[in-house]
This record gives sequence, structure tokens and C-alpha cells, in this order.
Amino acid sequence: MKTILKTAVLSVCLGLLFLVDVPPEFPLRVEFVPEAHAILGVRRRAFRRGAVIGAGVAADETAAAVASQPAAAPPPAPAPAPAASGKPLPLGTVVSSLPAGCTSTPVGGVDYYYCGGNFYKAAFQGNNLVYVTAKP
Amino acid sequence: MATGNFRIASAVIALVVLALSVSVPMQVNAQAAVDPAAKQTLKRMTDYLDSLKQFSVHTQTTLEDLLDSGQRIDSDVSASVTISRPNKLRAKRQGELLDQVFFYDGKTLTLHNRSDRVYGTEPAPATIEEMLRYANDSLGLIIPAADLVYHNAFPMLMQGVTSAMVVGKTVINGVTCDHLAFSRPDVDFQVWVADGTQPLPCKYVVTDKSTPALISISTVMSDWNVAPAVADDSFTFVPPEGATAITFLPLDVSSGATAQ
Repeated sequence: MKTILKTAVLSVCLGLLFLVDVPPEFPLRVEFVPEAHAILGVRRRAFRRGAVIGAGVAADETAAAVASQPAAAPPPAPAPAPAASGKPLPLGTVVSSLPAGCTSTPVGGVDYYYCGGNFYKAAFQGNNLVYVTAKP
Repeated sequence: MATGNFRIASAVIALVVLALSVSVPMQVNAQAAVDPAAKQTLKRMTDYLDSLKQFSVHTQTTLEDLLDSGQRIDSDVSASVTISRPNKLRAKRQGELLDQVFFYDGKTLTLHNRSDRVYGTEPAPATIEEMLRYANDSLGLIIPAADLVYHNAFPMLMQGVTSAMVVGKTVINGVTCDHLAFSRPDVDFQVWVADGTQPLPCKYVVTDKSTPALISISTVMSDWNVAPAVADDSFTFVPPEGATAITFLPLDVSSGATAQ
């Protein structure tokens, strides 16, 4: 079935497309594409997170994938999870999800999350909710 | 499974039908790669959108993606957008990964993540277009259906177009629409424009040709209202009880930091 679909798609594409020279790229300067990147950035992280939870591997290298880059940028390479040993991360480090076992601590009206030797606070990075290491 | 097969079969049939219907105009257009009629209909649509002082629309977007394994996974996002020119916009976006409402009242913009009960508010420029530019350039924020707002949408869409054709007419959500297809070096896009006195977009499909998978984004628009009842206060965010204010990361910081 898949082959049929592929063939159909291919034939349609061949039918639809003129062969064009490929000069330097012109990204579509409208919002569909950036919007898709923005949303898919969330999903890639969600899948990684899901995979980690499903496998029960706490130290999977994708557990705390770096939050998505700005909308039009290609998705970032996953970064290693913050060390569970409690080694502090540089301030301003952005992670897409909190490490396990964080406890919430309100300081001066801002919710901080403490875990693994780091304080995090929530922030928006573009459309995505991320957590940033901070000093309360 | 039966449903899956049926869907695939339908897709194949649709594609074959499309291929057949395309073959005739293809021959006609073989010499003039950019059919003026396709450009004209697109321009009629963008001019009409540009002329609207207010409108609301519902959009249903499907984003195709591939997992690292190569498996294809689609995401659906539903959005409702209300715009009142020159300086008011509200957009609700919901999907399996998002539950956000965006507010802009001419003074501030707010992004509210309802499921996480957090929101961020920033001072914003005085018009929708300036706000969209600021949101995108300074905050990395993408607002649903922003395409529908830009005054210069037509030249932006036509930039680099190497082929344009009128594929035919079809019916989307009960509305007869002209089907247009455009090709650019790395992107193909198709636009369906409502037939008649209100040339509104019925649907968009954008296909990324830079990968062999030809990943597409498709958006179907429905429930167009070009005279919606809009109360000014509906564009101003009022934090619900229990919601926490958070900040936006500046774009340079957010693109530079890593988790190591």
C-alpha cells in the first residue's frame, strides 16, 4: 500500500512540478513554515521526553533536550541532561523540561524550581515554555 | 485498520484524480510557466484580505513530520483568530502539543499557556503588522494566521515563483474554490481561493522540497466572518486566578544557551 502511495505521490509530483533550476534558496517568507517549525519544535521535545519516560532511562541524553531554537532555525541537536550529581549549570541555561524531583519555591512572587543543585524558573522562548537556570 | 486502508486508498484516489486533472492545464501552461490567471486570483485574494477591517476565521492545520526513525507522524492544530485592524488581534491555538491564547490590544501582547497556567506579557508596537514583526524578530513568537494580515502578502508569496497555474475548481467545506499551484525553488505551495465576490482563502498547502520526504503543512480555513462582533475588551488579557506571570527570553539569549 505504501508503495502505491509513494508511486502516486511521485507521479503527481512529476506531473505537477516543472523542472526548475535551483538558485540560492528563497525560504517562503510567510508564516506557515515558521509556524510549523515552532509547533514541531514542541513535538520533537515531547517525543524525546515520552521516549525517555517510556524506557525508564533517567540519564538518556535527550532527557533535557535544549529548547527549540527560534522559529525558523533548524531543530537543535539534543544536549545532555543536567548532571544528576548536583553540579551547578551556568546561569541562563535553557532546558525544555525540568529534571525529575524538582521542588517549587516561591521567591518574591516568582516560582523557582530547585533540583540537582540548580534553581530554575519558567519562561517563554518564542511560543515554547522552557526553564532557565536562575538565581533567586 | 480498515479506516487506515480506506484513508490511504482515498488519498491515492485523490492524488490520481489530481494528477489527471492537472495534466491538461500543464500542457496548456507548458510555455508560459507563470499563468497570469493564477497570479490574478492570488492577488484578488490578498487584496480582499487587505481590504477587510475586521475578520474572524477558524483554521485547521496539519503538520507532517518524520521521527528520527523515518516514521511519519502528523500533528493537528486548531486555531481561531479574530482581527480588528489596525491594532487588535486574538488567537487561540489548540492541539495535542499546544494550548495557547494570544492577545494583542494595541498596547501589549500576551501569550497564555492555559494548560501550564502561565502567561507572558510584553509592551507591543501600535499596529498589528509592527507587532507581528516585533513578536517574530525580538521574541521568536509565531502568531497563527499572521499570513492573512500582511499588507504585502502578494509580493511575499510571489517572490521567487517559477511556475504558477490554475489547477481547477473544487469544493472545500461546501465552498467552491479555485485551486492554484505555485512553485518556488525549494517550496511548492497551493492555495484554494473562494469563488465569488468574497475571494477568501479556503486552504493552503506548503510543501518543503528540500527533503526527499516532501513534508507538507496544510491549513484549511472555515467559518470566515468578515463582520464579526468584536468587543474591544476581548483583546485584553485578564489573568485567570492561579495563573503565573513569566518572562519572554530575548531571542539572542534563547538561541545561544545550551543545557551543558
